[in-house]
Order: sequence, then C-alpha cells, then structure tokens
Amino acid sequence: MFQARTKADTLKELVTIVSTLVDEAKFTIDKEGISLRAVDPAHVAMVDLKLSKDAFDSYEAEDTELGIDVAKLDQFLRLAKAGEPIDLIHDEEKRRLNVTVGNTTKKMSLIDTTGMSEPKVPNLSLPAKVSLKIEEISQGIKASESVSDHIALTATADFFEIICEGDTDQVQMKLSKDQLIALDCEDKVKSLFPLEYFSNMMRAVPPQSKLDMFLGNDYPVKIEFNISGEKGNVTYLLAPRIESGD
Amino acid sequence: MRFPMGVDISALVEGKTISLKDLAGKTIAIDAFNSLYQFLSIIRQPDGTPLRNRDGEVTSHLSGLFYRCINFLEAGIRPIFVFDGEPPELKKDTIDERIAARRAAETAWHEALAEGDIRKAWSKATRSSRLTGMMIDDSKKLLELLGIPWVQAPSEGEAQASCMTMKGLAHAAASQDFDSLLFGCPRLIRNLAISGRRRLPRSNRFVQIEPELVNLEDVLKTLGATREQLVDIGILIGTDFNPGIKGIGPKKALSLIKEYGKIEKAVSAGKVKEIEILDQLRRIFLEPEICDIEKINWGTVQRPTIIGFMCDKHSFSVDRINSALDRVPESKPPAAISSLDRWLS
Repeated sequence: MFQARTKADTLKELVTIVSTLVDEAKFTIDKEGISLRAVDPAHVAMVDLKLSKDAFDSYEAEDTELGIDVAKLDQFLRLAKAGEPIDLIHDEEKRRLNVTVGNTTKKMSLIDTTGMSEPKVPNLSLPAKVSLKIEEISQGIKASESVSDHIALTATADFFEIICEGDTDQVQMKLSKDQLIALDCEDKVKSLFPLEYFSNMMRAVPPQSKLDMFLGNDYPVKIEFNISGEKGNVTYLLAPRIESGD
Repeated sequence: MRFPMGVDISALVEGKTISLKDLAGKTIAIDAFNSLYQFLSIIRQPDGTPLRNRDGEVTSHLSGLFYRCINFLEAGIRPIFVFDGEPPELKKDTIDERIAARRAAETAWHEALAEGDIRKAWSKATRSSRLTGMMIDDSKKLLELLGIPWVQAPSEGEAQASCMTMKGLAHAAASQDFDSLLFGCPRLIRNLAISGRRRLPRSNRFVQIEPELVNLEDVLKTLGATREQLVDIGILIGTDFNPGIKGIGPKKALSLIKEYGKIEKAVSAGKVKEIEILDQLRRIFLEPEICDIEKINWGTVQRPTIIGFMCDKHSFSVDRINSALDRVPESKPPAAISSLDRWLS
C-alpha cells in the first residue's frame, strides 16, 4: 500500500529529473521513502534518486514497486500550481496510481515492472571534484547549444572550464577556483560529453542547487545534488563521448 | 530436414521489434558468416539459380552485402563485420553434418529442376549454399572499399562480436543465432541482415521482416536464470558443439535447470545422463577464445574502385551500383559513441 500527500513542486522536480532520461520508470517504495534508478534507452545516462518520506506532508507505505509512465505524469502535473497539494494513492486492486490535483483525479494505469532492468551504480574512480551553483554553469551550456553537439568539461588545480568546439564557432566558459564553491583536483582531467544529454540533465536541476561534479579523463561524469531541501538526493551519470576512429 | 544452426532457445526468448532508424548512430557488430550464408541462400532466382558474374562465379553474397551495407550507411548505422576463425574442435561434427546436408540439398535441387518442380527446387537450393574462401576474401575486400571495418575472430565470430558489445565497442551484436546470448552478449539484434521483404519458404508469398532486439538481462529475468544456467540449458538442448540430450527441449531444459540449479545436480538426481565434456562445453561459452580489440577504424567509400570491383569484375550494373552509392550520406555520422555499458557491466 502507498498513500502520500506532497506539494506539487516537490513532485514536479522529481518527475522532471526522471523524465529527462526515461519515459517509464520503476519506483521502489518503502517505509522510509521513494527511490528510483534508471538508465535511458540508449544507455548514455543514468539517474539514481532518493526522496525521504520527510519530503511529504503525509506518507504511509509498505514495500512495493510502482511502474510509472513519468512522461504522462509530467504532463498531468503541469496543471498544478507550485504550492498546490497533490495526493497519490496506489489502487492495488485496479493496478493504478490515482493522482489528485485540486478537484481533478487522474487514474494512471501502472506499467508492468517485471521486465524493467535495475541497473547497478558503477564504481567509478573520478579524481576531480568541482562544486558550484547550477546558475554558474547554465549560461555556458545555453551559449553552447547552437555551436556543436558535444561539450568538453575540464578541471585543473586552478579552474573549471567548459569548451564547446563547433565547425566554425567556439564557446568557452572558465570559472577560476575562487568563483567555485570548491575545487578539488590535482592533475588536469578532461572528458567530452554529448551536449543534448548534458544540457537536458542540467535543465532538470532545480534552481539554486549546489552541484558536485566528479570528473575523470574520458570517463563518465557524476553529478550529485539535493532536492526538496536536504530531503532527497540525486545522482546523474553521463557517459563520455569517445572518438571511435577516423 | 533442417540442420541446426546454433542453440535453439527461441521458445524461451522474446525480442522487441525495432526499425533500422532506431539504430541510427549506433555501432553494430555483425556475424559475417551468418549474414553471408543468408545472402547466399536467399538471393536466388525463382528456380534456385544464384546470381553469377560473366565468368559463372556466384555473386549473391556480394549483392546482399553491398545493398545491405548501403542501407546501413544510409540509416546512419555503423556496422563492423566479424568473421569466424578456426572453429572449436567440438564443432567438427556439426560442420560435417552441414556439409553433408548441403551436398544432399544440392543433389535434390538438381533433381527437382529436372522434374520441373520449381518450388521444390528453390527450397532445396536455399539449403545448398556454400561459402568459399574466395567469397570470404571478396566480401572483406568489398567492406574495405565501403569504408566498413571487419574483424577476424580467432574462433567463433559470435563470441568475438559478443565480447566487443560487452566492452562497449559496439551497441549490439547482430546474428540470427541465439548463441550470442550464451556468449554473454547484452544486446542481440536478429533479422538485421534480412529485414525487408522476404520470401516465405515453399511459396511465392513475401512477408515483411523487421529487426528484433533481444536484451540478455530481460531474458534472464524472465526465465529467472543466470547466464551460467542459460549455458547449461543450451547444452541440454544441444548446441553447435554437442548434440544435446535426446528428448529434452527448451521448456524441459529450463524446468530442469530451475529445479536443480545446474546440470551436475540434475545428473545426480538421475534426470539426465552424464555429459562427459560438460566443462569443455561451458568453457566455449563462458571463456571463449577472442582477441582484444582497442579501436575500430572507419574509412570512406571509394566509388571508382567499387565500380571496378562490382561492375567490371563481378558484372553488376554500373547504374545500379552508382545510384545505390548515391544514397550514402556525404558527411558520415560523427565518429563517436557514448555509452555507459562499459561501466555498467
């Protein structure tokens, strides 16, 4: 059984973070809260998310798994205003999740979770850590979008840099150590990433969030941030773009 | 009678229909022998006669390979062809059987032709295909002219393709056989070489064949088995390397392995007789002989040389080859892959 009430923005945040990568996801529910781990269909990125029951106004649950069409839920939640309460009730008999916004209830049929894979979070050794506010990086990403389809993230002992190299134009954004919240890097590291994924993931990060980015050489980037105050946390992983020849 | 090609676990495996478009930008490791045999068997005239050049040499494999590769390049797919090397010693019986079956089919084909039974002739002809060393060399040459990489496997091509997929060098491996799953291939694509219109056996009807994606993790999850257990199931049913146990089909093998965990336990329970070469068989699938490949290089389409090879040497029409080559996009898809697979496994 699962029954919970929360503010629309809490749920919207969560759904945006997940629906950036997948249309359908398996939510694992227990007494302590909700968790989810999913890899996008192309296996380029992963999301690992936990949201404590404290992020809810009321929360009652026993262990269960819900297969949710997050794309559909995302659409429905757009009808809700930021502070508006949302009720979630799992109808076990009809295998549906009933979502109520104001006086409107959407009864969403649940997806069979048996075929859904449960990826393991890989153990990555990423030598560099960059901490910054999401706002610091979003300008550089926006400027890059029309320039190329990939973006290079570089960290050295002194700075963090985004470079987007197109056929004709180039975008560069450099943040020195004192412009960052923290920078922990000994030797220079650099990896290239598919820009569309990176930009969509960064757009899903709630405003004012502090990001911890972990980087290596031609290695995935791990991005961690909190949601709903400190009541939830998210890890995004994005595969590097590796030149495969020519 | 149909001779077996690979382990037949089709009853236990469910794939998902996909289209070529879904594979745009992706690298696919293709079982070359498997594809060439399919071209040789299918690309024939209604009475079973294969395509030939003016010297009388069979060219069905080149026609299939060329047009299929053009379709891949047009769809933005990056194929790598993986050729079989030395077969494992245990495959000898299977190979001998296949050679005998091909000879028998060839005789039957000519008999049917003499009797004027065209349908029978076609169906026998499709099973008589032989892949010669020269055909393999010509196929490799054509791939090079198209800028498409090929890899020589030390032994089984499917093992090599599976390993390249596990390493993240390819998004998926393509073959008609299910052996790749036993080799641990995370994603197997079937019907890739033959998708499109295909003639139904023994008839003049055609059906539309779509590629199908089989995800190993989903298969194992559905079966409730590990990969090691899937190998045991394959060994019980029979593979290219052992005849299997008489009377045990896919369903029975699955229930035995689920009940007893592994073959040894089913043997001690008296359910199946002992398989002497069990460990050797398992090693073929679990520790296959493969070579380590770090990087794959793609080249460019060499139009003039292709025309020389395909048209002057092998009697294909210049107009048709040219218009097919026109379909290959000028700027090739970016030479890059992004995938977490390498870190997920």
